[in-house]
Amino acid sequence: MRKGHFFPVSVLLVVLVLIGAACGGDGDDGGSTGPTGDTVAEGGGTYRVETDGIAYTSGGDPTGEYLGLSFGILSNLLDRTLLTYYHSSGENGNSLVPDLAEDFPEVSADGLTYTFHLKDGIMFGPPLSREITSADVEFAFRRMATESLVAQYGFYYYGLIDGLELGEDPGAGGIPGIETPDEKTIVFHLTRIAPEFEFLVAMPAAGPMPEEVAGCFTEAGEYGRYVISSGPYMYEGTDALDASSCDALTASGPIAGFDPEDHSYFIRNPDYDPATDSPEVRENNVDRIEIDLNTNLADIFDKIERGELDGHVGSGNPPAEVLQRYSTDEALQPMLVTGQDDRTWYITMNLAAAPFDDIHVRKAANLVMDKAGILQAWGGDINGEIATHIQPPALTGGSPTNEEYDPYATPNFGGDLDAAKDEMRQSVYDTDGDGMCDAPECSGVVMVNRNTSPWTESEAVVVDSLAQIGIEVDVREAEDHYTIMQTVSNEVPISMNPGWGKDFPDSSSFVGFLFDGRGIACEGNYNYSLVGLTQDKADECGIEFEDVESVDADIDNCKQVALEGDLDATNQCWIALDERLMEDIVPWVPYLWPTVITTIGPAVTAWDFDQFAGTTAFSKVAVDTSAQV
Amino acid sequence: MSQLQAEVTAGPSEDISAEPSPEVVGKSPGQLFWLRFRSDRAALAGIAVISILVLLALTAPLIAKYIVHHDVGQRFAQEPNSMLNEFGLPKGPNAQFWFGADRVGRDLFVRVIYGIRTSLIIALLATTIAVAIGVVLGMVAGYFRGWVDTAISRGVDVMLSMPLLLFAIGIVSTCSRSREGCLGGLVKPGVPVVIFVIALFSWPNIARLVRGQTLSIRERDYIEANRVLGAGNTTIMFREVLPNLIAPIIVYSTLIIPSNIIFAASLSYLGLGVPESTPEWGRQIAQAAPIFEIAWWAMFFPGLFLVLTTLAFNLVGDGLRDALDPRMSTKAKKRKAEGSEDEEGVRSTTRADALGMASE
Repeated sequence: MRKGHFFPVSVLLVVLVLIGAACGGDGDDGGSTGPTGDTVAEGGGTYRVETDGIAYTSGGDPTGEYLGLSFGILSNLLDRTLLTYYHSSGENGNSLVPDLAEDFPEVSADGLTYTFHLKDGIMFGPPLSREITSADVEFAFRRMATESLVAQYGFYYYGLIDGLELGEDPGAGGIPGIETPDEKTIVFHLTRIAPEFEFLVAMPAAGPMPEEVAGCFTEAGEYGRYVISSGPYMYEGTDALDASSCDALTASGPIAGFDPEDHSYFIRNPDYDPATDSPEVRENNVDRIEIDLNTNLADIFDKIERGELDGHVGSGNPPAEVLQRYSTDEALQPMLVTGQDDRTWYITMNLAAAPFDDIHVRKAANLVMDKAGILQAWGGDINGEIATHIQPPALTGGSPTNEEYDPYATPNFGGDLDAAKDEMRQSVYDTDGDGMCDAPECSGVVMVNRNTSPWTESEAVVVDSLAQIGIEVDVREAEDHYTIMQTVSNEVPISMNPGWGKDFPDSSSFVGFLFDGRGIACEGNYNYSLVGLTQDKADECGIEFEDVESVDADIDNCKQVALEGDLDATNQCWIALDERLMEDIVPWVPYLWPTVITTIGPAVTAWDFDQFAGTTAFSKVAVDTSAQV
Repeated sequence: MSQLQAEVTAGPSEDISAEPSPEVVGKSPGQLFWLRFRSDRAALAGIAVISILVLLALTAPLIAKYIVHHDVGQRFAQEPNSMLNEFGLPKGPNAQFWFGADRVGRDLFVRVIYGIRTSLIIALLATTIAVAIGVVLGMVAGYFRGWVDTAISRGVDVMLSMPLLLFAIGIVSTCSRSREGCLGGLVKPGVPVVIFVIALFSWPNIARLVRGQTLSIRERDYIEANRVLGAGNTTIMFREVLPNLIAPIIVYSTLIIPSNIIFAASLSYLGLGVPESTPEWGRQIAQAAPIFEIAWWAMFFPGLFLVLTTLAFNLVGDGLRDALDPRMSTKAKKRKAEGSEDEEGVRSTTRADALGMASE
């Protein structure tokens, strides 16, 4: 349009925006509330969900998917592992139960050999419709070993299962530590005792995969749109695939019902036999599940309230105004549901990048941070507990809480400027001793953040807090924030985007995974702080650094203690490591142990929280179709 | 300046046959301009508003510190007297917080006042740069014509056919990726990149306008006379042509300032360009949009100031245009419609079209 007309049109736009924003939120008041939780679930119907974004780590490929939501989808709907979880909340939700296997494994006396027997009658869905064999489970581990597939938590398995190393596909029978004496038996040989091994076989990447389909895809992020289900549901349109050859497969695909950038539609898997499963593990009430993309978060919650949707999935909790509306309205309260997420949201600091390569700066950041302000920006106390150390206390038996251990305690968690300045004074980056960071490295410090709520709201708090000690950050809000952080060569000094949820209910999947220097990868890295960085690894990734401390020995020690089987002693060891990290290494400013909150629509008659995945238990939801709008 | 002739200062139209003819006193163009501008109440109101805004912008830090006692980046989120409720949502206007609090508990009044600075700086700088580039290129194109004109005009056409917002988003995103920005460090992320983008999309219209004006001016006799006398091209351009362009340039500049303010606000509404900590009305409106139902003030006040500022500049621009060249004013158009056509009237229509600023 000609510039001359831009003004009246743009004023019109401004006015329209104001009107639109005012009118956009109008929904009906309340709406009928359906009972949730323990009522007898009705069968059938569609569970309709919208998401403001699912950041798939591998396009839906179970080998590389490392997202809580993906875990929830795979474990509930598509992927039956040897052992699985109960897909419910609390301790029950963290407990294992045999799924693909008949029973828990036979473990040899020396603790190094695990034998599983597979159930009869568990089949891959269309287009294969054939029984699952031990070779299919072995194939999953072969994919994990295939470097090009980027198994994001393969680290747990390499070197643990005898002969399982990152490289090329070892081929059938190519991993000495995995034996398949017959179609229904699989035997694992470990190189060391690993009490967490049963958790490891419950991870979605360890679920059975058909070589005739999955074997056609050798690069990360490709198989996702061709996933063959072993669970109660499948992607709509999977039956349209032609699996007679790899070419026929790609010609007939990808699956219409799954586009990682747009939608996921699940229908029942006709080859699933409920007799091989248990309602305590999966109820499978609904006939169909729909997940659609809607970048307007406010719109999603409005639709849920009106009954046009049944739920939301995504990274964050509902926005503060939604929380307020539901918390203060008696009719809406029952539809605000929560789950205890075993997770820490944190700000990560790069030990190899100025000015955070100075421990005094990192400590000062912990002392000045207004954590209460961050929680407020998230929408208040309802969102969880302020975090004061690395691991959520639930992982180590419920302690230490933020009251029991806070190495950087400040009044009401609001930050203590004087204490922070005292700490900063000891830093080389405070050249004049006034407690403010004033060296050139203190300004223009790049900080990565998400571009979604509530991180965009809490951004002001973080920027403000750091500014008070002279650190001027230059915020970059990015959609691909994880990819940026996981690339070591980007040398991002500080970031407020990350969170870490346990992979399985054991500290070795939290502290033990995150800070192991041997686990640093140049791409796909999770040890953002680079604790335990070695010269070799730095050279490999192309970065420079000075001394960086390592806790590798402490991690190995705690794993050793775990072998002795004394849960208390094990927890104490991990807690001690957590405290050592907070006081001597200081890689993070942890700020929240969140409660997962979401709203469910008035038509939902059953809903549960999947404690393992930290998301909706998709196999346990139910709807009353007559109440759906 | 357009060629204004001395006007007869007659009294109000009345039957003058019985009275002796009044003396004819000539008024200078400047006096005539001021006379006409002074009678335009809307324009005067615009001037008043702009003056107040500029005053507020200049004294913002003083106001914040000594009158309101709230800092621009300070969050009032701790009890007692927190401006956020238990859900972290802002509270409304009260005796200490005249405009209430923004989404994260800052004093909205202070941030809106500071926002004047951001908007004015961006708009004025961008406009100045665009005008400088546009005037030079337009003059050169209109004066030399030929292949120079063709090249510049095609350049203008290309720029004008680009989708404004899409390209702006793309450029701002790209230049914000790294600390150095783009164009070899010349355009840094933040306010500079916004100024760059606005100037980039503003100069073509000015160039076109100036080119049109230059084309007609260069045909005039005194230009020809100067050439015959041996004056060089540059001298003629800057000494003879440019002074005649001043009026339309001033008018057009004043009228595109509000467009540019809105352009900048649109970019920051989308989260681009200006960082979150820098007060900017567009960003404030964006943050307030999701909570409009429960915190009307958070959007109302930045929106109000945005509208007032753009309205003021538009009124002043209209007033300037009417006062500098009465042939383009609404009154003149009415007179023309009533039948008092003349050669000047015909020419003024063309000029008005060329300026793209038809007032109806």
